[in-house]
Amino acid sequence: MRGRALAAFAAAGMALSAVPFFGLPAFYESFLYLVFHWIVLAASWNILSGYSGYFSFGHGAFFGAGMYTTATLATKSGVPFLWTLPAAGIAAAAFGIALGAVVFRLPRLRGELFALLTLAVTFVLATIVLNTPVDGGPGLYLSAVPLPAIGPSPSSTFYLLGLALALATLWIAREIQRSRLGTGLFAIHDDEDVAEVLGVPTYRYKLAAFGLSCGLAGIAGGIQAMFISYVTVGETFSIAVPLNVVLMSVLGGSRHWFGPAVGAAVVTALLYAFTAGDYAVAGRAAVGLILILVILFLPEGIFGELIGALKRRRVSVTPAIGTADLPAPSAARPGKSEGQGQPLLEARGLSKAFRGVQALAEVDLEVRRGEILGLVGPNGSGKSTLINLVSGHFRPDSGRILFEGRDLAAMEAHRIARTGLARTYQIPRPFAHLSVLENVALPAMFGRDALPRAEAGHEARRWLAFTGLGAKATSLPGELNLHQRKFLELARALASRPSLLLLDEVFSGLTHAEIDDAIRLIRAIRAQGATIVFVEHVIRAVMELTDRIVVLSYGRVIAEGDPRAVMREPDVAAAYLGKPHA
Amino acid sequence: MPAANQSVRAVFGALLALALAAHPALAAPSGPPVRIGSTLALTGPLAATGLVHKIVGEIYVEQLNRKNGLLGRPVEWVLKDDQSRPDLARTLYEQLITVDKVDLIMGPYATANILSAMGVAQRYNKVLIHHTFGTPSLAKYEMQFPAGGLAGDPDNTIPRLVFDALAASAMPPKSVAVVTSKFPSVHFISLGAREAAKKRGLREVAFLEWDFGNRDFGPIAARLKDAKPDFVWVGGLGLEGNLLIDAMRKIDYMPPLHFHLFPAPGPLLKAPGGENALAATTFEEHPPFTDNPIAVEFIRLYHERGAKAGLPDTSVENQSAISFSSWQTLEAAVTGAKSIDDKAIAQWLRKNPVDAIVGRLRWDGPFNYIYGTDLYKVKQNQQGKWVVIWPKEFAASGAHLVTP
Repeated sequence: MRGRALAAFAAAGMALSAVPFFGLPAFYESFLYLVFHWIVLAASWNILSGYSGYFSFGHGAFFGAGMYTTATLATKSGVPFLWTLPAAGIAAAAFGIALGAVVFRLPRLRGELFALLTLAVTFVLATIVLNTPVDGGPGLYLSAVPLPAIGPSPSSTFYLLGLALALATLWIAREIQRSRLGTGLFAIHDDEDVAEVLGVPTYRYKLAAFGLSCGLAGIAGGIQAMFISYVTVGETFSIAVPLNVVLMSVLGGSRHWFGPAVGAAVVTALLYAFTAGDYAVAGRAAVGLILILVILFLPEGIFGELIGALKRRRVSVTPAIGTADLPAPSAARPGKSEGQGQPLLEARGLSKAFRGVQALAEVDLEVRRGEILGLVGPNGSGKSTLINLVSGHFRPDSGRILFEGRDLAAMEAHRIARTGLARTYQIPRPFAHLSVLENVALPAMFGRDALPRAEAGHEARRWLAFTGLGAKATSLPGELNLHQRKFLELARALASRPSLLLLDEVFSGLTHAEIDDAIRLIRAIRAQGATIVFVEHVIRAVMELTDRIVVLSYGRVIAEGDPRAVMREPDVAAAYLGKPHA
Repeated sequence: MPAANQSVRAVFGALLALALAAHPALAAPSGPPVRIGSTLALTGPLAATGLVHKIVGEIYVEQLNRKNGLLGRPVEWVLKDDQSRPDLARTLYEQLITVDKVDLIMGPYATANILSAMGVAQRYNKVLIHHTFGTPSLAKYEMQFPAGGLAGDPDNTIPRLVFDALAASAMPPKSVAVVTSKFPSVHFISLGAREAAKKRGLREVAFLEWDFGNRDFGPIAARLKDAKPDFVWVGGLGLEGNLLIDAMRKIDYMPPLHFHLFPAPGPLLKAPGGENALAATTFEEHPPFTDNPIAVEFIRLYHERGAKAGLPDTSVENQSAISFSSWQTLEAAVTGAKSIDDKAIAQWLRKNPVDAIVGRLRWDGPFNYIYGTDLYKVKQNQQGKWVVIWPKEFAASGAHLVTP
């Protein structure tokens, strides 16, 4: 597949690089150069913003950083133009990474705040450039900078440079989309916290995507500086650049590497389709109308809709995968007989408070290898908080969490996932834009075994078959009912082949028959020797499934031991039912 | 008698027809059209002024075709919208030259777009006549010809003109504040104003800059109020001067005298607080400018077309006049060179001046700029009307600089 794509890219590259030798008027080369230029900007923007959903309005800043790097080096230091391009890319990437290193550390700077911050950065950079010797006001003029004769004319030189960079950018965008990085970014797009808990190193991935995105925009800026030959702050750091790239990506489809290229080509072509002086305003209005109509009626973008239609067609002719088609899965990663009964997880003095409310207080707890431990207690007793602390969703205020001898308390959530620990969520949190299959393949890729993409797909299919969701592999989570979504959570947790499975209220909201199904499923997991911590309110399930239970009340352990014996204890009854008044 | 009358009429008609045929200036143009290509900012942020240049170009080409066209051939203006973007301007000029194969090109509007077009013109050895290029030091092409009346050193000529006007007034200022946008084409002229003020012994009480696009002039107004200058040089573009005046009025302050480099003349004329404001210009609708019948006819047509196009101000002033003058330059050069060959036109322009409505244009200096002198004048908003007050020979009848 990769070889074929590489061959297609090489063929396209060779065919397109012959254009300057056809003797076409120079205008066509310049026009195509601008198409390539916008493809680079839109596709590079999409690497961070389309894939991960971190909408950046600062692409103009990184593009501008590249423009000014080239303009400054070429005009003030006499560096040959081509040598300035790597510097333009590096300067823009370094700027982006430095910004990202701060911004991505702060979870509150997501969504619109990230967009506003990046927009503000554009204006800050513009002010710095304008008020320092980098520009100082008059702009930088590159007419005296020699342009290397890569093509037969200056226009063809720009065309070839643009073509090379566009192909490189699209290849990078494609490779990212199909890589572990791309999978992680798409997961971040849908639910960053869950992605982190499932093993995606979100901070590192965002930083890498941002750096790449900025670097490519910087190189495009370097070429563009030479193309327009006069670089001014007002033109460079205008809002037009981010607005255009956002429009192009949305128009083409931001969930596929090729979507922004389609959008860039369409918008640039429309730009030139209505330049006749007599009807300029009407032409611009027509362009606006076309774009509005496309966005309204093709919400996934032109290419996104096309891909979607093709997928639907393929699904309709491909028989759905049933559970009988696949072999039964091997055990998640049970302890088997090895060390059976020995402590697998130990919590010591674990405390956590939220704005003064003590959710957990000095909790000591032990999970033994191979057992199903029930974690019960009334609402607000701290059960989910405990799961969240163990899985790294929150950091404890104090205490230790020892898992197979390692302390998880200070560990990042994605590292915890790689130790062999998996969890489900009480309210299912699937990645909404990933298929059911992709949802389950992701933890297989990022779990302890870090399976390669293809192998993770096979693993996911096995667990889907195991949970009875094989026929839903290509569906989106939104198409599943609650029962199926709960089982999707389970399949996703199992796919990472965990040593310890944390199940957070798997049965809540299910019907009686569905609960019976779920019990059977958990028994099947158990039969393979898995260790399970089981948070549940459905007492029937607790009694049927657990070996031991721990009861929490007001963040403290009030009882533990055999389920039947513990449930009869007066303190436990009081915690659930209240104390009788004499 | 009727028969005799008919004979006289027939003879007279024949003579008239012969005269028309023999006089090239009155004959209808014929043959393949001379195609002149250009772009203008018809949409985007510069569109308001781009429209002025479009109306002027249409008027001029119509008038040309009513006469003898160019060299007896009709003129076709191929106009494209560069959407106020230099990258688009560059590519559209390439399209005009390599695809549309126009015979001649005219410059677009505004400095950045003109520079983009200049690079293309240079590559294809085309003459580029332009009107609104604000940074002459960047024009390094032998066949570019500025027709906007600006000198090669406007940072010297314009401040000198303004301070001469002030020095000749009843109350010459003793202190000055220079406030300016950092927009390239006005910033360096404002820096020239600082130098000029210093040389003349004026005390600089404030020097403030803002980034292009700034909309908050409150802090600058407050600093000016504290500094109490006798005269404020405003290196502003478009509506920036209006915004500054608004900000000053809000804090009950107005300097005795204030000069605006390249304002939007209509809004400044009507702005409360804009009374007695000074500005730079090349043309106003009063003698001696209107002593020229070509200018009078142009004013009439511009009023008519401007109103039809919905222009807020239909007066002919700096922008429309320099636009008209650039077309006059092209016509004179083609007619003088008797050719539409770019090299012949360039050669003719370097050797011959052109009497345009803004004055005598010439290009016999380095890179076709003249240093030390220009066609600019100082005008003042007096009782809701712009009148030139300096130099004296161009001042409106009885007009002089009004000081508070």
